[in-house]
Amino acid sequence: MKGRNTGWIRLLLTITLIIGMSSYANAGGKVYKVGLSLAITGPTSDAGNPYAKGVEDYFRFVNDTKLLGEDTIDCTIKDDQYQTDVTKRNFEDFLDQGIVFYLNYSTGSTLALKKDFDEVQIPVLPASFHAGNVEDSKYIFLPIASYSEQAVSLAEYVVKNHKGDKPKAAMFIHPSAFGRGPVSDVEKAVAAGLAMEIVEVVEHGNDLDNTAMLQRLMSKGVQYVICQTIQSPVATMLKDASRLSIIAKTFGENGKITFLGAHYTGGNDLIDLAGNAAENFLWTTSYTITSEPGPGTDAQLELAKKYGRDEKAANSHNYANGIMVAQVTTEVIRRAKEKGLEISRKTLYDELNAMNGDNSYQPPTTVGPVTYSLTDRAGVDSLQIYSVQQGKFRKIGEPITSEYMKKIK
Amino acid sequence: MSYFFQIVVSGVVVGSIYALAALGLVLVYKSSRVANFAHGQIIASGAFITYALTVWASIPIYISFFISMLITFLLAWSVERIFLRRLIGEPIISVIMVTIGLASILDGLIYLTPFGTKNFSFPLFLPAEPISIYGVSISWTQLVGVIITVVLIGGFSWFFKKSTVGISMRAVSDDQFASMSVGISVPSVFGLAWATAGLSAAAAGGIIGNITGLNFDTLHAFGVVVFPVVILGGLDSILGAVVAGIIMGLIQQFAGGYLDGNFGLNGTGEVLPYIILLIILLIKPHGLFGIHEIERV
Amino acid sequence: MAANRWLATGNFFITYKEEQRTFLTSLDRLIFSIFLSALFIWPIFFSLSRPYMLVINNILIAVIAVLGLNLVTGFAGLISIGHAAFVGVGAYTVASFSRVLGDSHFLITHMWPLLILAGGTAGAITGAIVGLPSLRLKHLYLAIATLSFQMIFEWVIKFMTFFNQGQTISVGRVTWFTGDIGRNDHYTFWYYVALVLIVLLGFGIRNLFKTRYGRALVAVRDNDRAADAMGMHPGFTKVYAFALSGFFAGVAGAVHAFLYKGAGIESFTLHHSITYLAMAIVGGLGTINGSFWGPAAIEILNLQVEKFSEYAANYLPSAMNLATALRPFTFGLVIVLFLMFEPRGIANWWRIVKSYTKTWPFRY
Repeated sequence: MKGRNTGWIRLLLTITLIIGMSSYANAGGKVYKVGLSLAITGPTSDAGNPYAKGVEDYFRFVNDTKLLGEDTIDCTIKDDQYQTDVTKRNFEDFLDQGIVFYLNYSTGSTLALKKDFDEVQIPVLPASFHAGNVEDSKYIFLPIASYSEQAVSLAEYVVKNHKGDKPKAAMFIHPSAFGRGPVSDVEKAVAAGLAMEIVEVVEHGNDLDNTAMLQRLMSKGVQYVICQTIQSPVATMLKDASRLSIIAKTFGENGKITFLGAHYTGGNDLIDLAGNAAENFLWTTSYTITSEPGPGTDAQLELAKKYGRDEKAANSHNYANGIMVAQVTTEVIRRAKEKGLEISRKTLYDELNAMNGDNSYQPPTTVGPVTYSLTDRAGVDSLQIYSVQQGKFRKIGEPITSEYMKKIK
Repeated sequence: MSYFFQIVVSGVVVGSIYALAALGLVLVYKSSRVANFAHGQIIASGAFITYALTVWASIPIYISFFISMLITFLLAWSVERIFLRRLIGEPIISVIMVTIGLASILDGLIYLTPFGTKNFSFPLFLPAEPISIYGVSISWTQLVGVIITVVLIGGFSWFFKKSTVGISMRAVSDDQFASMSVGISVPSVFGLAWATAGLSAAAAGGIIGNITGLNFDTLHAFGVVVFPVVILGGLDSILGAVVAGIIMGLIQQFAGGYLDGNFGLNGTGEVLPYIILLIILLIKPHGLFGIHEIERV
Repeated sequence: MAANRWLATGNFFITYKEEQRTFLTSLDRLIFSIFLSALFIWPIFFSLSRPYMLVINNILIAVIAVLGLNLVTGFAGLISIGHAAFVGVGAYTVASFSRVLGDSHFLITHMWPLLILAGGTAGAITGAIVGLPSLRLKHLYLAIATLSFQMIFEWVIKFMTFFNQGQTISVGRVTWFTGDIGRNDHYTFWYYVALVLIVLLGFGIRNLFKTRYGRALVAVRDNDRAADAMGMHPGFTKVYAFALSGFFAGVAGAVHAFLYKGAGIESFTLHHSITYLAMAIVGGLGTINGSFWGPAAIEILNLQVEKFSEYAANYLPSAMNLATALRPFTFGLVIVLFLMFEPRGIANWWRIVKSYTKTWPFRY
């Protein structure tokens, strides 16, 4: 039964391949298939929606401007409503279409499909920067520094800029692995000598009022809160903090709390939700953002304009996020092509792993180069710290990289 | 000590917002014995309509708040007219499932608008500086929220006690056949119950939207969050909803203030209401103020 | 004995035993046997792509779960809005073994039928515990009690490190007599497992309703006081209905964990509980064949809507919202339309077709 079955599948595959080949030949250039499955509706769709637009627009841009010559990239985008079961089906579907590169989205589905990625040996770029994604996996690459690295960097930033005694900090996290992941790494960094005290780790719910929690933190002398969650709970907390007038006006102000957050806590969405309460919030990410114009953001806005995206999507850091993963995908395909290699999962995987040293790639929308190797699974290692000033995120200093992350590995 | 009082104040504030959100459920249940699982979606639409009117149509928020209440009034009325009227007398599972189906339909409709996937926040229209008395602080938004809640709940209580329509609604909830025989139009009472529930949902949505910002996921979750509240208070009692709302708010705040982060526990405020709910269901299923009509097996 | 063993135009039972037969006529049995063998044979001759195989497996797993839900909600009349949590209990039983022993321990790779049974048992035990409020509660109150079980289940899984805080706990691939089940055979293999389970459980239910234990469920649903007077214990019957339904759900969950090679909380949320209820209603509450129609209808509807959305997205790329909003919208609409216009579900259409063909070419 089994043997016969595989025979049929092989036969079918060969037929599809033959048909596929002939259609490629007709089109003149080759078509490289890429798949993206993400939450366009359902939970976290506020991030997934602009992300999908970024990926879609950039691949269209590649095809329209003939960046790969006659060849084109055909990226299928599917909505999985943040449901792992649907992601799995989408992924199997993509495999049947013969994708050479896969873009994934949530932490949950990336972890759930980890084994599958290894089995079919396909390079994967998820939108989740969870450090656990790359554990025991050869094929998952994080686009930018992991949440852990972001949290540790923020902690280091606190230690470096804090005046006075050992700073006391708390962590405000999402009640899931996505939120809890970085906690242990920050604790490890503290154990490795980072001069900071983690007083408490708070997991939030759907709270309408965080007064009790904030007052408790105040009474314990907490001066810094590092957030690793999504925007909406942070916004509620900031509003409460602003009502209690305990938000530090300057970094580390005595008797007040300075709030800091990782990639998914910030961006324009936070300002949209929290309004004035977002002032002085410190946020870290590896992307350039449109409130700090530069060549990268100009390109981003131009792309959005070209494909008729609205203001909100064009200025979203998740739009930049989507563009960036599409750029990395295009870049590895371009490099493999340049070397005259056949484009396959294997060659693209090798190209990704070779992306370091002189070969590192600098996308216009990130603050540092993308580097991967067999040991370095995070793309952009440098992080930029932004702070909200008059309703806009503004750069603070130059991009930083974490020191303790190397020590605790 | 001010820590304690702050928690009490926050609990009462959160609780009265729960009460307002729960009010819509109680109103519908009181007259038509239907538990509305689409309530969260109506709350969310109320918040979104208020925002759209205030920001996009630049109507002053005081007016747009009332217009949106009017719109959800009509929306909920037509929902009842189109979907639920046919189901009068059907088994309860059908009615529950219809409201769940409605929730899904409204989800779909909201995804058609920008609100489905984007975040917004209301423009500030109240002073940002909180009111502080002896170290206990409350924001203007919360205070106004509480005042609106008190006014609305007072209004509804009066409406049910004194007005003819209110009394006929109570009559219907008591005995449909008897009220029909004295000339009350039962279907129109059901319609009215839904419509008033929609109205209170818009008010709740407006207030919650001002506190949390407009995020669809956060807003429609309130439809489920208020179930423990209404069960604790008794499904058909307005007073029950108020008392239970405040109790629930206090429990959540105290759990957050004293339990979390102390015994290796976290997020207890999330799950405690449901545990309490199960206990209430086992001990006193009709809630604190509900009518004793549960059949024992 | 009726004169014709192959055709029967009506109910001509003379003895009680005749009424108890599974198949009324030999023709029924023949058609059913052909249909069943077709289900077993087709994968050998015709190979579907993996995503479709996955959809079919999803349908089969949902069938097992909905059979259980139909027992408690359809036959016993107790509304359960926490069915996905029972399915989750089954899946997490398997996952716990995997967590303790490692994901390719002998017990998992070779003793997996035992683990499926263990999943069912764990589901049954939880079912009995959650069913306890039904001793006192009815209707809406019971529905809300099961809802709170769903919430507590989600919180426990997300909170406990043992359950990996809701993130996927991986479960290894299994071995059969033919050797390890590889990637290509995975879906076909679990198709057969699920199919065999459905046949076993389906006949189990069919036979259950020939015994006093099955009939007690219906009696309690229709009138529990009368059932009490007849000597049944309504409270016990309800708890037992929950336990039975929990068993089915647990089995479904265990198969789910093996099929997806892991268990994560995202597959067992409130949304899934609602989907199971929708499947039971669209199929037809209180019917066995409805438990097959419902999952198939809802899954295929989902797939079609998805296809249509993609098709529409090709033409209006910037209006992606429109295309993706369709899914919740149609899902809700189908539930509402069925409840308003065909509350007895697809099973009723099946009944009409059957009675029409039975008397064909005559009509009544």
